[in-house]
Amino acid sequence: MTARRILLPLIPVASFLLAWELAARFGAVNPALFPPPTAILRQLALMHTRQLPERSLLLTHIAASLQRVFIAAAIGTALGVAGGLLMGVSRWVHRLLEPIITFLMPIPGIAQAPLFIVWLGFGDPTIITVGVIATFFPIAFNTSAGVRSIDPQLVRAARIMGASRPRILTSVYLPWSAGHLLAGLKLGWARCWRTVIAVEFVAAASWGLGYMIWDASEYIRTGVVYGGILLLMIVYFVIERTLFRTVERWTVERWGMIHT
Amino acid sequence: MRLGAPKTLAQTWKSRALAFGQFVLPFLFVGGLWELLVQTHVVTLASVPAPSSILVRMWEMATGEGILWRHLGRSMYRLGIGYALATGAGLILGTTLAMSRILREMLSPVLSLLISVPTIAWVPVFLITMGLGDRTVITAVFLGGFFAITYNTIRGIEMVDRNRVRAARTMGASGLSLFFSVLLPGSAVSILTGLRLGIGYSWRALVGGEMLSAMISWGIGKMIYQARFWNDVTAMFVGLMVIGVTGLLLDRLLIKQIERTTVERWGMLAER
Repeated sequence: MTARRILLPLIPVASFLLAWELAARFGAVNPALFPPPTAILRQLALMHTRQLPERSLLLTHIAASLQRVFIAAAIGTALGVAGGLLMGVSRWVHRLLEPIITFLMPIPGIAQAPLFIVWLGFGDPTIITVGVIATFFPIAFNTSAGVRSIDPQLVRAARIMGASRPRILTSVYLPWSAGHLLAGLKLGWARCWRTVIAVEFVAAASWGLGYMIWDASEYIRTGVVYGGILLLMIVYFVIERTLFRTVERWTVERWGMIHT
Repeated sequence: MRLGAPKTLAQTWKSRALAFGQFVLPFLFVGGLWELLVQTHVVTLASVPAPSSILVRMWEMATGEGILWRHLGRSMYRLGIGYALATGAGLILGTTLAMSRILREMLSPVLSLLISVPTIAWVPVFLITMGLGDRTVITAVFLGGFFAITYNTIRGIEMVDRNRVRAARTMGASGLSLFFSVLLPGSAVSILTGLRLGIGYSWRALVGGEMLSAMISWGIGKMIYQARFWNDVTAMFVGLMVIGVTGLLLDRLLIKQIERTTVERWGMLAER
């Protein structure tokens, strides 16, 4: 069964790649626009090895993007959880922030980028700020939804047993909303990743996967463009498999909330 | 659906007006505070315009030569075509994959791999292969909506009661009639979720695509991008507001309206 699940998807992928390879090799499509997959891989390998003793261009690009994503996601998560808890606990904060978040959330990060370029200049400050904003909204939204769904009896019980307000926040509200929170984290971090890549297109100074793809497309280096997209898939896949799974195991599964 | 005394029209309007007021009030509050900070010279940065000057600029752009409408109209044209294509293709592929187990097993991992790539990252590929104009933007819009619609169509059709499908088949329904009379209504809730997510993604992809395509000169994304060359922050804010409001209207008016005429009337939605 597992073999079937792995092998079946390989059929369309392999035949697509093979057809592409042959079409490009034998001139059925323009190899300048659609370089054969093997050429794309070679180009990626070349980017990795060309300046190797000092550094790998490829890994530097990946590291630059990941660093931005991690910083932005960390700040955005902290702000988002704090904001969400506040919105969940206080009706007034909720009334104030909920419409504003609803309005601002759908505005794409890349559209905010020009504004922050004026304010903060090209490079990391702009990219990370827009990334923080992108992370903040879904996490705040979901955390507040989670907190608001709490059974008030639990809060009362905790209060009767003498728990302080901060204690109630960390030991009652937070675990209760863990399911919502986790959904928010996934949304927020995925969004952070997409936004950082997108903003790198317009605001990066020299490094980053988004910058690499955009720069390559300006010089019509198609191999690098396709290779960059392949890298985006791989990096995202690895992050999802490692980070998300780990977080899930730490929190929700341990608290036995996976089925709610 | 919860039973109770039906609302009169006046009550409906009253509760809608109340909801609208609650939605608008925070913006007035934040906008007022911001205006105050600028007017009292607490914030004196040239790159932070007062809300009043943003609104004035918006008014000038909307009236006068109507630049704003031209930008917006161009964007809507691209959104319309791309989103219509995404809906059509998403429904067809989604239905096909939901009906055929082997195709689903073959293609759904591929789909989830493709979904993980930000739509905007495909734009350079389109720019190279399809040129720097409308075609690239429309393809980005298409791709933005396509995956969400496909995915939710698959889920929706999978959730349709198999016995209902068998019953319809026994009674001689097949092909298109099976799709339109059984599968489509049965999966409408999920499909609408897909359409709703899809228009959001399409709208975002549109803005990004317009910013990156060099050969177009009209479009709301282009407007923001061009404002950068003159550090025209006020125009950027106008653009962002228009993007926000239009996105909200697309979601609230278009999708809500479809929802009201279909699944809500068929009683498939729990009262929210």
